[in-house]
Amino acid sequence: MRKVITIDVNGHLYQLDEQAYDDLRAYLAHAEARLGADPDRAEIIRDLEQSIGEKLLRYLSPEKSVVAASEVGQILQEIGPVDGVGADAPHTRAADASSGTGPAAQARRLYLIQDGAMIGGLCNGIAAYFQIDSTFVRFAFVVLAAIEMFYFERPPVVSAGLYAVLMFIVPYAKPFSERTAPGTHQSIPQKVRRRVERVKAAFGGLQHHTQ
Amino acid sequence: MATAHIQEKFASIRKGLLEFLILQMIASDKMYVAEMLQRLSTTEFATQEGTLYPLLSKMRREGAVDYDWQESEAGPPRKYYKLTAKGKAQLEELRDYWAYINQTLDSLGRGESCAKSSRSM
Repeated sequence: MRKVITIDVNGHLYQLDEQAYDDLRAYLAHAEARLGADPDRAEIIRDLEQSIGEKLLRYLSPEKSVVAASEVGQILQEIGPVDGVGADAPHTRAADASSGTGPAAQARRLYLIQDGAMIGGLCNGIAAYFQIDSTFVRFAFVVLAAIEMFYFERPPVVSAGLYAVLMFIVPYAKPFSERTAPGTHQSIPQKVRRRVERVKAAFGGLQHHTQ
Repeated sequence: MATAHIQEKFASIRKGLLEFLILQMIASDKMYVAEMLQRLSTTEFATQEGTLYPLLSKMRREGAVDYDWQESEAGPPRKYYKLTAKGKAQLEELRDYWAYINQTLDSLGRGESCAKSSRSM
């Protein structure tokens, strides 16, 4: 049994396996980071998504409805890393190959990933960042909490506090359609309020689970 | 075909020339990104969408190119890029400058061979 995730790319639905989805999301997150303050960032991301969507179709047929990670890997290699050319000249493929600025060399960003999250998606995000299984990250948090409770004989304030602080400052990885939709800009007070609410909701949900 | 060492030396020049090549390609007819990539793929300037989309977007912001949406038989509508009046003027300027650079290279080369022949005399 494998987990399949349905994504919406420019109004078309595609099914990807979980790793393929993670790879694609990481690529787009890197692309956004590389584009930085480019005024056409949303449009460039839409262009890339459209191109990705067209290429995904190559791997689908009436007998095959899910795109695998290796296939998404080929698509992303074909599209190449995104250059932030707000002011700079572009990279050619030969220059990328010689200077080692491929996807792996790009700056990575930490996100909260809600798909499959148990609390707020932080462990999922940390796992995606370090490219490890999220179970190990959750286990590390549980071990930290257990050390606090049984060795220091106090409530797990450091582990829970660390989780809450990171949940507050780390941004969410938004779904593709939401990221490029108009009218999603928020003011700073709105963002702070939303983040406080999401920390409350996550910990409220956790209490509910443990009762 | 140049060696990897020579290609490396020219990496930044290739980067800088990509904008010129885009203007050159769309000078005669409008073109969509996949066509540009296809035409460049067999040359020293082979590039990828990750490079081309941000560059085209910058060129559009600067007013050198613009695009029209056109329906496609194979899939969703495509952006066909075309030169603007400003882009045409820029292309002329770039062509002149490129010719001037080539002329300079040639004349310096000739100067070197003249110097050699005068030394050997």
